[in-house]
Order: sequence, then C-alpha cells, then structure tokens
Amino acid sequence: MMQSQTTTRLILSSCALCLSALLLSACGPSEPDVEGTPPDIRRLTEDQYRNIIADVFGSAITVGGRFDAPVRKEGLLTVGARNATVTSGSMRQYDEMARSIAAQTLSEPNRTFLVPCALEPGMDYDQACTEELITRTGRLLFRRPLQQDELQPRLDLIREAAQTLGSFEEGLELGLISLLVAPQFLFVSEDIEPDPDANSGHRPTAYSIASRLSFLLWNSAPDDLLLLAAESGALHTRKGLEAQVSRMMASPRLEAGVRAFFSDMFEFSEFDFLEKDNVIYPAFGVTASAHAKEQTLRTIVDHVINEDADYRSLFTTRKTFMTRTLGQVYRVQVQAPKGVWQRFEFPADDPRAGIQSQLGFLALHSHPGRSSPTLRGAAIRSTLLCQQVPDPPPDVDFTEFNDPNSPSKTARQRLTVHSTSPACEGCHRITDPIGLALENFDGAGQFRTVENGEVIDTSGDLDGIAFDDGAGLGAALHANPALTTCLTYRLYAYASGTPLSPRDPWMAYLEEQFAANGYKIKSLLEVIVTSDAFLAVSAPDPAPIESAMNTTTLTTTAATQEN
Amino acid sequence: MHETLFMDECPEGPAPGNYEIWESTVSPEERRSYPERLITQIRHVNYRGPEGEDVCAQPTSVDDPPLPVVEGKYAYGIDLDDNADGTATPKSCAHRTFTGLNGEAGVDNQMYRLFGCVQAWRSDGHIENNANAHRRTSGLGMILMNVTDIDDLNNDDDVTVTFYRGIGAFSLDSANEVLPFATYDIDMEDGKPRYGDSVKGRIENGVLKTSPEDVHLPHYGNYQYIRQLIRDMQLEMDITAETGKTDGMVYGYYGVDQIYSYVRGMLTSFANRHKFSCPAIFKAAHELADGHPDPETGDCTTLSSAFKFKATRAFINAPPLGEMAQRSEAP
Repeated sequence: MMQSQTTTRLILSSCALCLSALLLSACGPSEPDVEGTPPDIRRLTEDQYRNIIADVFGSAITVGGRFDAPVRKEGLLTVGARNATVTSGSMRQYDEMARSIAAQTLSEPNRTFLVPCALEPGMDYDQACTEELITRTGRLLFRRPLQQDELQPRLDLIREAAQTLGSFEEGLELGLISLLVAPQFLFVSEDIEPDPDANSGHRPTAYSIASRLSFLLWNSAPDDLLLLAAESGALHTRKGLEAQVSRMMASPRLEAGVRAFFSDMFEFSEFDFLEKDNVIYPAFGVTASAHAKEQTLRTIVDHVINEDADYRSLFTTRKTFMTRTLGQVYRVQVQAPKGVWQRFEFPADDPRAGIQSQLGFLALHSHPGRSSPTLRGAAIRSTLLCQQVPDPPPDVDFTEFNDPNSPSKTARQRLTVHSTSPACEGCHRITDPIGLALENFDGAGQFRTVENGEVIDTSGDLDGIAFDDGAGLGAALHANPALTTCLTYRLYAYASGTPLSPRDPWMAYLEEQFAANGYKIKSLLEVIVTSDAFLAVSAPDPAPIESAMNTTTLTTTAATQEN
Repeated sequence: MHETLFMDECPEGPAPGNYEIWESTVSPEERRSYPERLITQIRHVNYRGPEGEDVCAQPTSVDDPPLPVVEGKYAYGIDLDDNADGTATPKSCAHRTFTGLNGEAGVDNQMYRLFGCVQAWRSDGHIENNANAHRRTSGLGMILMNVTDIDDLNNDDDVTVTFYRGIGAFSLDSANEVLPFATYDIDMEDGKPRYGDSVKGRIENGVLKTSPEDVHLPHYGNYQYIRQLIRDMQLEMDITAETGKTDGMVYGYYGVDQIYSYVRGMLTSFANRHKFSCPAIFKAAHELADGHPDPETGDCTTLSSAFKFKATRAFINAPPLGEMAQRSEAP
C-alpha cells in the first residue's frame, strides 16, 4: 500500500512542477546549507491528539483514556516521539478513545456540528452524507485528502454496517472509529517527492510542509486554509509559504504552539508527578501545582507573544499572572475572584524576578519536603543552558547531609560538608552556586529569610558573574550567552525533530538571526519555518518507513478486531 | 468553656433535655400508647404546652424544672463591669463572679454559667461543634478583621480595628484547616460593607487589645444567620505569630433576646435530639442576665461572656473608604 501511495504522490507532484520553479530557494545567501534528514514517523503527542479532536469535532468532545508515557530525548519529548513504540495496550486505549469520540460526535447536540445530514431513527444508508462526512473528516485527521483506497473501504464498511445493524448512525460511528484508529491519523508520517529544483534531491510534499508548520506553530493539525494552500501548491512557493506563516503567526492559535514548546523544553510533564508534603507545605496542593505550571506558561506566552519581548528578560521580568490559590503561597493580595487569573507585577524590590523565581520552577525542582539547591542548579544548567550534569554516583553517602542532629543549619552548610567528597565535588561545583541563590524559597517556593533560625546566604556566581540573590541570578542568566544558544538549539530540534550539532554552521547562523532580531521568539520561529533547513529532507531509505507503517497498520487492525 | 474532667462545675449533673422532661410528665401507660416513638411522640414532645404550644416558640407556656447552672469557681473572662465582688452597679445587676484561670478576681461570665451544664453546648456537644464545622467548610459567617493605623506591630497605642463579613468560602488545606495568607472579599451591599463597625485599640507586646465598644458581628451556626451585637466588646489577640495563625478572646455582653432567638431558631427537634430545654434556658437566661439594666424596669438585658476564637492572617479586598462613601452616595 505504501508503495502505491508514494507513486501516486510522485505523479501528483509532477503536475506542480511549473510552480516548483518558485521553490524555497530565496532564503538568502547567508543561510548555510543543511543536509536534510530522512522523513520519519512520529506519534502524536497527547496534547496534539487532544487539540486535533477539539479542532475537528468541537471542544465539547471529552477525550478520556491514557496515553503512553512519552520518551525524552535530546531534552525534548518531541524528539523522543520519533522513537516511541506503540504497544497493544496503547492501541487499545486509542481504540477506546476513538469509540468514545465517535459516539459523542454523533450524539445530540454535537452531531449538528459535523454530520452533514439530519440523522433520524431508522433512516437508510445515505451515500452522499457518508461520503461527505468521511472525506471531510478524513482530510482533517489525516492532514491530506484520503486516497481512494482509504476512502472506499470505509464507505463500504459504513454501508454494510448500516444494513447489518439496521442503523445508519451506527454505521457512521464505525466509519469515524476507523479514521480515529488509523495510523495515518495517529502518526505524523512525512512524505517526500523529487525536488524539481535539485537534480537528485527530494523535498517534503506540500501536505507534509503543512503538517510541519501546523504542529510547530499551533501544536495541532493543519486547518482547512493551510490544506488548501498545500493542495494548490502554494506552500511550495516562497510567497505562498510566507503568506501562510504570516497568517499562522498572527493567529491566537500560536499560543498553543508556544505553550507546547516551552512545556516540552522546561519539562513541565514532570508536574504530573509533582507532590508535596501537605504537612510541611499545606498551601501547596493539587490546585496550586496546576496553577504554578499555568502561571509560568502564561508569563511566557505574554512575554514572547503579546509583548514580543526579548527572551532573555523572561528571567528578569517581574510581570506575571496570579490567582487566589497562588496568592496564598506567594503571600500576596489578589483582587480577581477565586479561579480567575489577573495580571500581577512584583515590586521592584521584591526578591522574585524571572520565571526561575516562580513556583513553577522552584517547586518542580525541589524535594517533597524541602528545597534542593542541587536539583535547581542542575535544572538551570541542563534545561536553560543545555549543559550536561552527570547523574550522581550510585554509592554517594548522604549520611551527613541528612543528619537531623547536624550542626549545619542551612542547605549551604550541609552541602559544603557533603560536597567535599571527591566523588561529589565536581558536579556540586557546577550546580550548587546557582541553586543556592534560590534558597530564599522553600520547597514549595514560599519566601523565607532563615532556615533553622539561621539567615540564608544566597550569594553565588554563574560562570563568572557574581550575584547576591535570586534576582541577581536572573540577571546573570540574562547575560549568559549559553541561554540563547540553548534556546536556539532546542527550538530548532523541536521544529525539525532532528537536532543539529550545536557547532553546526547553521546553528551559528540561527543564533545570529536570533540576536539580530533582539532575541525575540516570534522572529526566530519565522526564520526557522521559512528557512531551507526547516524543509530540507535527505534521500529516504524507504524500507524502515514502509516497514514501520505496515507494522502499525497490522497492530491497529488487530486491536480493532479484538474489540 | 472551662470544663473539668468529672463535670465538678455542675453538681446537679447535666441539664435534662426536652424529651426527658416530657417523659417525666407522662405515665408509662401513656408513653406506651405512642407506638411510633420517633415520629408521633416527638410531635407530642415538641407541642407539650398545655394548649399544644411549641415550647421553644413559647417558652413561658410551661414551667420546666430550673436549669442546672455552673456552680464552679473558675471561668474564662475578665471583669467587665469593673466590680470584682459582683454587686450591682449602674451598668450591671448583682451576679456571682468567677475567678479567672490565672487567678484574676471578678471575672464576669454569665453566659458560661447559663450553658456550662447543658451538654449540647459543652466541648463534646453538638451545638458549637456543628456550628464550627459548618462555618469552616462553608465560610458562612466569616468575620474579617482589618487592623489599620499600625506603626509598630509590637507596640502601638493607637490602632483601628474594623470588622466586616467575608463573602466566599475559607481557603482550607487537605486537613480542613484554614490556610493563612489567602485573599477574601468583603460582603458589600449597595456599595457599602454590610458590616463595618470600627473600634480603637492598642498593641502591647504584640497583643492587640481593643477598647470596649458595641460591635455588630456576623454569625452563622446551626443553620441560622444572626447579625449579632456584642455590647462593650473587647478583643485580645496576638498578632505577631509568624505562622499566620493565632488564637484570641472576645469579651462582652450578649443580649438575652439575641441568645434566646438563636436557641429558638434551632427548632424544638434540636432540643429533643441534643437534649436541652428551651423554657429552662429562657427562664435562666433572664435570671442570670447581669448587664445593661433596662432603665425602666431595672432588669438586666444582657449576659456577660467570653469566647475563644481562632484567627488566620489574610488579605482583605476592600475599596478604599473614600470610594465606599462615594459609592454609597451614588443614586
């Protein structure tokens, strides 16, 4: 099946050869060449799955079920998604979710949102209604028009089911389920075609470009306009591509894309496992945890989209958002009613400045019952600066560190004793001086000035820049060139799915562009999505891809039949 | 409420309830004539007045046995009428005084004397526990206390304390304890706080003490809202606790009518289930009243009292006073 699809697409693509003369060759002489990566298959993330269901079937549809735990690779789940395996258990989950979504879609009043004909009890099979429903829905779910061999079996299935079960509605339900469990929906598989501008090169098909753009910028599938641009071949022209990028960048849906990237980069999936000792931190419950994550995401979105501000100042800004639940952890007054977010700005002399001083960072990188300068320092090194922090040795001795009778009252004192061990010294030297700057915030992120009655010393330095406290750490991060290098590296890896070496000339080019545009994320996104590199693919090795698709198809079929 | 382990302060034992009093007035044969105890009998118990009166609604319709009252020596409280021996003064009627738990003389607490032997009001009884539990989980009757004009949190001879009613629920932790540092809203009506009495006070070594003033406070308990008035109210509370949680005491006089209105509002079924006699409480409350003599009859109209309370530090959302005034003047 895969071979026939590829052939078909190659033929179709040749029809657009004349348009391809305008291909994306005008990316500027300063953009270094990048060897493309082979097209691959990646599983939809949970958020992408949910976003697509909401976009296609309406936000009233509830998506239950569990998703397989994602795999983090190169610091990103999005990169790990290319290596994700799909078990029979997870296919069963997909199958159950599909049944639930289909049933909800065809129930009152949701059916009026999607079904093109009025469903009435006992009605006969309606060919036109069926074809329109499956064609339209399938195009949005598969992110391209359905091939004839994808459409006809589903029409046959619906007709036979309607006749056998005596219910046209149940037939349609089965048809929708078959779309929702299809690998063409659950996996983003990139298709390529010969590049008319390169003798032996390839390029992604216009529909694959549409998916790349949409998943990066909106964290969802392409909408109708983007698919139309793909269908017309406009996405293979610079003008058409830029028009779509411009439209997508201006859309409110860009927020979903930015949220998804920073959630991934800042490892916010860990919030799912965040627990605090409610005896020690009674104010930090489940709601506070959810709001802490949301607070940082709102701060980021407002900073990089609404204000289009310098990424580096995300670590010095005092502007954020607040709820009453968070207010009692921050110990600040909140005017907005319960459950409502309000803008909030910490005073200029407040110890909090930058997202690293928000609960979303402080509580996430702490122990359940106490703070951790080491975890916080390691998170700053690995997450914000893309620096490797080795795991602790297996035989590390925490006896002195955990001794309740220790004369060491503060974390700094305890770590000083602990890190004198040669096995520990190396790592603690790179994590602790920056983590200790945040010791004014306890394990839940609440402000404090003393620990066990002793005044906390928050001075330290980051790669040669000294500071006195957490706000000073933010300023040191702002000045650290690794901060923007790391963001550039992560964003490109997130966008392309395949990280380049940080020493690759293209990464240097991207960094230059980032700096030239005032370190604005929106500008960096535009540079990436309109670059040759973003759309570059190398000659495929079809065997693994076809094999993977066939395996997935078989698994899907098995799971479906089992149910 | 000061309670001893073996209830020594109540030599007559706990006060009998409405049901027990009714039961003592009927013969065994008559009791057996009511087959459906929980329904039929209670109807007879509730309306046991000579003309079928509800004895909580009309407490003078029957002459119940006198309420056993506290005879113990000690009580929480202060000397409210500045008269340690309990003899009548221009602002109080003659009454027996207590000794404070720290040995203070002349402690006035007739409310304790009234309810101290009624099981339902004691620490393991239903009335206070039920009210506290409902207030905690619902936020109904939440009192917001705004202390302003503070120059020094430890010692300040002139501060202002304003009392509001909160609207909304308490912010609770997983153990149902009220969390400090939450933000609450003032209950407003037509641009003005529904409550808002202000009193002057002082801070001595971190303890806030207010001057005697009549203060209206919201009250909710046992399914009743009361706009309660505490006459000559004084408040004491440590306001320096770093945990944001503290205990305090309120002293003052409660009107007898106000107290009985609360008792009556609980309905007679409460009196049956939780064992108290409305007529006995009504009569004793009037007899024990020690404050605010009626200028015409000379009978006292209020009961001295002392209440413990728990307070939690919080933020209060309120428009500035100027804005409140402006709003209230708007058509």
